[in-house]
Amino acid sequence: MDELTFLPRWPLVANQMIWVGILLAGGIAGGELVQRALRLPRITGYAAAGLALGPGGLALIGQPLLDELTVFADLALGLVLFELGQRLDLAWLRRSPSLALMGAAEALAAGVLVFLVLGYYFDQAPLVAAVAGAIAMSTSPAVLIRVAADLRAEGQVTERALILTAINGVIAFLALAVLIPWLHLEYRGGWLTMLTHPLYLIAGSLVLAAAAAQATLKLAHLVGKHAGRQFIVVIAAIVLTVGAAVALKLSVLLALLAMGAMVRNADRARDLIVVDFGDAGQLFYVILFVITGARLDLGLVASAGAAGLAFVVVRFVGKAAGVLALAPLAGLRLRQAGLLGLALTPMSGLAVVLVHQTATLYPEIRGAVASVVLAAVVILELVGPIATQLALQGAGEAAAGRG
Amino acid sequence: MLEFKRSEPLTLGVELELQLVNTRDYNLTRGASDLLAAVGKRKHPGEIKPEITESMIELCTSICGGYAQVRTELEAMRQVVGDAAAKLNLGVAGGGTHPFQKWSERRIYDTPRFRRVSELYGYLAKQFTVFGQHIHIGVRAGDEAVRLTHGLARYVPHFIALSASSPFSLGADTEFDSSRLNVVNAFPLAGFMPFVRDWEEFEIYFGEMRVFGIVESMKDFYWDIRPKPEYGTIEIRVCDTPLTVARAAELAAYAQALAATLRDDLAWSPYPSLYQVYSYNRFQACRFGFGATVVDPLTREHVPLGDEIVATLTRCLPRAERLGGAEAVAALLKAATARANDARALRELLEKRGSLADVVRGACEAWTAT
Repeated sequence: MDELTFLPRWPLVANQMIWVGILLAGGIAGGELVQRALRLPRITGYAAAGLALGPGGLALIGQPLLDELTVFADLALGLVLFELGQRLDLAWLRRSPSLALMGAAEALAAGVLVFLVLGYYFDQAPLVAAVAGAIAMSTSPAVLIRVAADLRAEGQVTERALILTAINGVIAFLALAVLIPWLHLEYRGGWLTMLTHPLYLIAGSLVLAAAAAQATLKLAHLVGKHAGRQFIVVIAAIVLTVGAAVALKLSVLLALLAMGAMVRNADRARDLIVVDFGDAGQLFYVILFVITGARLDLGLVASAGAAGLAFVVVRFVGKAAGVLALAPLAGLRLRQAGLLGLALTPMSGLAVVLVHQTATLYPEIRGAVASVVLAAVVILELVGPIATQLALQGAGEAAAGRG
Repeated sequence: MLEFKRSEPLTLGVELELQLVNTRDYNLTRGASDLLAAVGKRKHPGEIKPEITESMIELCTSICGGYAQVRTELEAMRQVVGDAAAKLNLGVAGGGTHPFQKWSERRIYDTPRFRRVSELYGYLAKQFTVFGQHIHIGVRAGDEAVRLTHGLARYVPHFIALSASSPFSLGADTEFDSSRLNVVNAFPLAGFMPFVRDWEEFEIYFGEMRVFGIVESMKDFYWDIRPKPEYGTIEIRVCDTPLTVARAAELAAYAQALAATLRDDLAWSPYPSLYQVYSYNRFQACRFGFGATVVDPLTREHVPLGDEIVATLTRCLPRAERLGGAEAVAALLKAATARANDARALRELLEKRGSLADVVRGACEAWTAT
């Protein structure tokens, strides 16, 4: 038998590549099936495929492997956040301050309502309720960007949903940055940490973003206005910034979002053309949703389903109320405002990442926060994309034919 | 049967089709219905209307006495539209074509007429996402309308060269100064009015076309210049929408002065050879702008179009002065002497800034600048 050593040993030793391939193929197939059979957004299918293959389903992909794949998900999320940051058009907010106000209102209303309901009706510790509330402020940028792109949606509801998502992402981050030191105080003590940790997170992430944005623009200027080459410039900047943020224990969320916004707003000469991530970008979205799906735990719906459902409902009420309250000031028709509130429903990978980050730092509150928020994410993974799709179609902003 | 409504002679009306773009990559965007809703009840002269696609709106002045009123009204509408667009984060720009839009992505504004047009013409309707300026000139009677339509046909290349602002299409330099008119050519009823002598002959022609079942109303003719009996005007439709309101008003003033000169030149009468050279001259103007060489149908000479325009503008100047449009004609004379039209300005923008998105951004800036 010695002569046959060139043959692989049995059972096969699977490597990362094989699993990433399976996830991608499974995801894209799942997306297509869900779209054709149920007329649901494809991304619901990506997540469903992840769930089916992951520990909560067939368990083809175990937890250790999932942890190894985190780097892919982080990268994909970095890309999403960068794209979202580019939507944070400060000039528009200056011209239309009511829009910024609307972002603050819907985020705060959703956060406070979730905090109150979890605290009073579900007996969560104030800090647990507060962290959950902070996470509830955010909308999933990946779902919004992807659904809008799939529907080729254009118009005021689409544009405003995207910029509101950018705003509520920033507010959610700031809320967590303020709450985290309070956790510190409660669980470990130390005034110094309470003051310096948020400062380090915020200032550090912004400085990193500024440096990366400057470098990106310089490099973009160097390569000229060529879509293919600038695409690589942007990918390089994203990968580098995600890596640096992780290494420096800064916030990936804030750093990438800020870098996107700075590149967009500081580029007076418009050296960076708008890079369309196109088909290559879609690859990252599939990875992101499949991995998010694989991380979902259906068991949570059984154990924390009631709290999760309450979370989903009051969060929606808060967001809708915030948007509707400011609609007249922002010059939105009531119907458009209602649909805009509906479009902000999704919660997905970003919320999962926020939960994991908080939980890594403070294992003490892991169980409580994770179960409520992740139960809500399970529900919203199904409901969220549909809500956004209905909203954009209802507003008449989706292209007739599906691309 | 086709009654020609008399109107105040030499009054002016201008229609301008404008592009709506997003401010991120400056592609055309779906914005007309939101923008019109935002303009809503704000007071302004004239009318602000939807057009066949969601990426286009139209500004229409009221019936104006002359250049000054046209310009004031257009400026007022520009202000109202600009304010609304700023709040919606939309860009507004002139220019005869969008430099890189794909027509397949356009959406038809939802009205029965636009839907019918879209069903009849197929992709032509979407390709027709081009942006033009129409100038109406008031005339006293149908016979005068027919005579002036022929008379102005001779000057169609002037209006093309002076307004040309569509050098780019589908992401490339077309090498035309006005590529927009090539799109218009595809329609079966495009071109010029047949050689009829007076309104009676025109009515006979129109009646026959209706009996054939080819047309229902004057709207179905896509001619470069057409009589508009229900308004009592003739309508010049060859201009690209210029990059600025000022240029749009100046073109109207030139049309007015030319029409006045032709109307009062009793020695002149229409002749058929006008249309033997018509399509050739029109093509030359579209392709080369001021640099075109046109054929004079009477002398059979080949003339540099730029020189001819300068000469004609100079000749019109006194007449324009009496009509209150001297400033406008002088501005056109300056531009024609320098051979500077918007097509050249757009090409220079590309040269300087490097991408077609930058060109559209520049067009938005030009539109807003006072």
